Amino acid sequence: MPKLFSGAAGSRSSGTADGSAALRLTGLTKTFGDLTAVDRVDLTVSAGSFYGLVGPNGAGKTTALSMAVGLLRPDAGSSTVFGVDVWSDPVHAKALIGVLPDNLALPERLTGRELLTFLGQLRGLDPSAVAERTQELLEVMDLAHAERTLVVDYSTGMRKKIGLATALLHAPRLLVLDEPFEAVDPVSAVALKQILARFVAGGGSVVLSSHVMALVEQLCDTVAIMVKGRVVAAGPLDQVRGAGSLEETFVRLAGGDARVAEGLSWLAS
Amino acid sequence: MVGVLIRMKLAIIRNSMTGGRAALMVIGGVLGVLAAATTVWLSLVDPSGPGVVPDLLATAYLVWLLGWVVGPVWGASSVLRVDHFALLPVPRRQLAVGLLGAAFVGVTTAVTALAFLSLIVYGLRQGVLPALVAVPAATLQLVLVVLLSRASYSFFGLIARGRVGSAFTGLMLAAFLVLTQSGWIVVVALIYSDVLTTGFPSEYSTVVRAIPSGWGVVAVETTHNGHWWRAVGLLAAMVALIGLLLLGWSRTLGSFRHGRATIRGSGHAPRATRPVLAGRTAAVVRKELRTWWRDPARIQMLAIVLGWALGTALLPLTLDWNATLPWAGPAMALMAATVACNLYGEDGTALWLTLQTGTERQDVRGRQWAYLLVFGPLTVAVTVGFTLYSGYTWAWPWLLALVPALLGGGVGLAVFTSVVALAPGPDAHKRPDNPLEQAETPWQSQVLFWVGLLPPVPAVVTVVLGTVCDNAALLWAGGPVGLATGALLGWWLGRVAVKRLRSRGPEMLFHLRTGHAAETTTVKADVPTVELTRRESLVAVFSWILGPLCLFPQGVVPVMILLAGADLRLWFLALYFPDPLRWPIAILMVMLGILLLFQAIQLTTKGRHSCGPSPG
Repeated sequence: MPKLFSGAAGSRSSGTADGSAALRLTGLTKTFGDLTAVDRVDLTVSAGSFYGLVGPNGAGKTTALSMAVGLLRPDAGSSTVFGVDVWSDPVHAKALIGVLPDNLALPERLTGRELLTFLGQLRGLDPSAVAERTQELLEVMDLAHAERTLVVDYSTGMRKKIGLATALLHAPRLLVLDEPFEAVDPVSAVALKQILARFVAGGGSVVLSSHVMALVEQLCDTVAIMVKGRVVAAGPLDQVRGAGSLEETFVRLAGGDARVAEGLSWLAS
Repeated sequence: MVGVLIRMKLAIIRNSMTGGRAALMVIGGVLGVLAAATTVWLSLVDPSGPGVVPDLLATAYLVWLLGWVVGPVWGASSVLRVDHFALLPVPRRQLAVGLLGAAFVGVTTAVTALAFLSLIVYGLRQGVLPALVAVPAATLQLVLVVLLSRASYSFFGLIARGRVGSAFTGLMLAAFLVLTQSGWIVVVALIYSDVLTTGFPSEYSTVVRAIPSGWGVVAVETTHNGHWWRAVGLLAAMVALIGLLLLGWSRTLGSFRHGRATIRGSGHAPRATRPVLAGRTAAVVRKELRTWWRDPARIQMLAIVLGWALGTALLPLTLDWNATLPWAGPAMALMAATVACNLYGEDGTALWLTLQTGTERQDVRGRQWAYLLVFGPLTVAVTVGFTLYSGYTWAWPWLLALVPALLGGGVGLAVFTSVVALAPGPDAHKRPDNPLEQAETPWQSQVLFWVGLLPPVPAVVTVVLGTVCDNAALLWAGGPVGLATGALLGWWLGRVAVKRLRSRGPEMLFHLRTGHAAETTTVKADVPTVELTRRESLVAVFSWILGPLCLFPQGVVPVMILLAGADLRLWFLALYFPDPLRWPIAILMVMLGILLLFQAIQLTTKGRHSCGPSPG
């Protein structure tokens, strides 16, 4: 059996000093009316790790990640990126992160190339570097053929890919990706996995949220399971899943519903 | 189906009701009841002219019909969106009937039904049989306007996907605005002409009766004249028209994914290497200019601005009056701010990129420069061209004072309102099938239009002084004063917008993402939180609407009429009082307007400060 501990990833923190943790969330809390979406979450992502955040729908993954990167103000708690506080020193912190939020708009009336060029300029990158990286990203993401298509006309998968390209463009040290593989075709997914694996091998850190357990098992070295706004298990992948698969552990912790087996009798009749 | 959809609509309305929305609903309802009462009153008047009452009624019904057609195009998304039902295995016609039934539930339908009672009143005055005909006629008329409204919404949505179609709907809205605001000229002309005693010209009567909104009146009229079979024929024609419209509309409901007009971008993104063009603000300017050119919603804004300004200035030409020509340019600058009052709402959750790159200042300033690049040259060209053509050389000092102040004030007010009074709508990529579905900004536009008149005040006062004192230096000093006011306001309001975007960016993003304003965020426990109560937000909305009304049309304008000694009353309350009371009432209205505006600003800023300062 894996050793599971509630919200204790912070104490795990692989013994690193504050500055070397790529992302550290401390007591992060967010309440919407009566609902506590994220409840005193502590997480530490060590530098160079590939971190998977899994949880059922409505577990608070997106809310937690939004607060972590500075897109949603927490009610309490803090988020630091390589020791820089996201909420008190946002300019410095945000330069270190590349973010892919789930299902948010982009400047919709630009083409993919125009969007990346625009962002490169906003990030203050050198123009020739921007042109070079844009070309490379468009080719890797297989978007170069849609040269003249505006982002508003992109398919869901294409939106995901251009979103990833925007997160990678400024070569950040930490990537925070919310459901990066949703709606992405298998061929592009293989390319993306290679990019992310190479990024981590080169010293970068990745945090991603996903529903797909197999994917998390394949990519991540560390995982955290969130249920109802709280971290119920966190640690190295092998430790969390123990002898079984990650899916089994996840279903057990998330409280798999016994009624599913018996219910919906009318469906098959 | 109808019952289910009605319950669904009521549930959605209930769940999205806020104090502000409730206030708008109540105000709309009151105005609607007033309009309905006026229509009923028309059926009760007793002018001596032949056929005047049916002509007046047919005209009123035409206005109601136009209102129903234009209303939804102007007023953004409907409560029940057709694509909610895309996967339901329900025949299209049944869905159409269901949606139509649900469309009947609303304040607008209730007040229209009240207005159409006038047809029954008119019938009663004609006799028993005409009254009996009037009942089904009024009912069919109501069904017709509601159905036409839904059908035209689908139709305009369909054509507005392309840029040409957007420009067309924009021009249509502009035309409706021009007609509505000029409506009082028609009323005055009616009252002072002898139409009410001699009757309308026969061509006019024929036209208003030939349009379906007039068929009910004709049915009642012909019954009175003994041609009851004609009345039956007209009622049958109305039923047939309703059937045809329902059929046509249900067809548009079926194809949920139409091939839409795809707007193409360019295949390359040129590298900007020159220092000025390579900066962050320049990047935003380029992005904004591309959006102004490629986004159907922005094209529609441009069309409204152009159509409204040119229409307002050119309409008086029909009366051989060309003194309005020089003011087309200033009118454009004023309207530009009014339509661009929700730039951040239009772009939706794309705000996250601005927050993530920490480019709040560059984003606001870039939007301002792009706005000036789009509207500035147009305004200047129209001003110069029209003024030269009109030959009114005396207008130049006024225009030099007005144009820069209006443009500068407008570019400041537009970004200020976009940030402070953000109105979220569906993101562009979530509404590919109908670009007309936008955020609702009824009070933002209304308030901006009146507040937008304030920036040129110092410059205009200078020119007035120059004219009164016959001092050429003062007269021409209006230009520099206007330029200075415009530049100062554009810079200062932009700065306020930047500050607010920096401190409240995440809350704005939350608002855009969820459609709800962010609740109190107690980042620091010692920050006192002040939330507006429902009653206070109601009072704020009422004050925002009534304040400008009291101050300008009911206060400043009557004062000017009193000063000019003109013998006009129209709808100016003060002028209906006996002489010694006119001045005090007009001044009272001005003071009341100022008080209400003060209260509105106070309540709004109180609400805004409620979330405490940013920790960053």
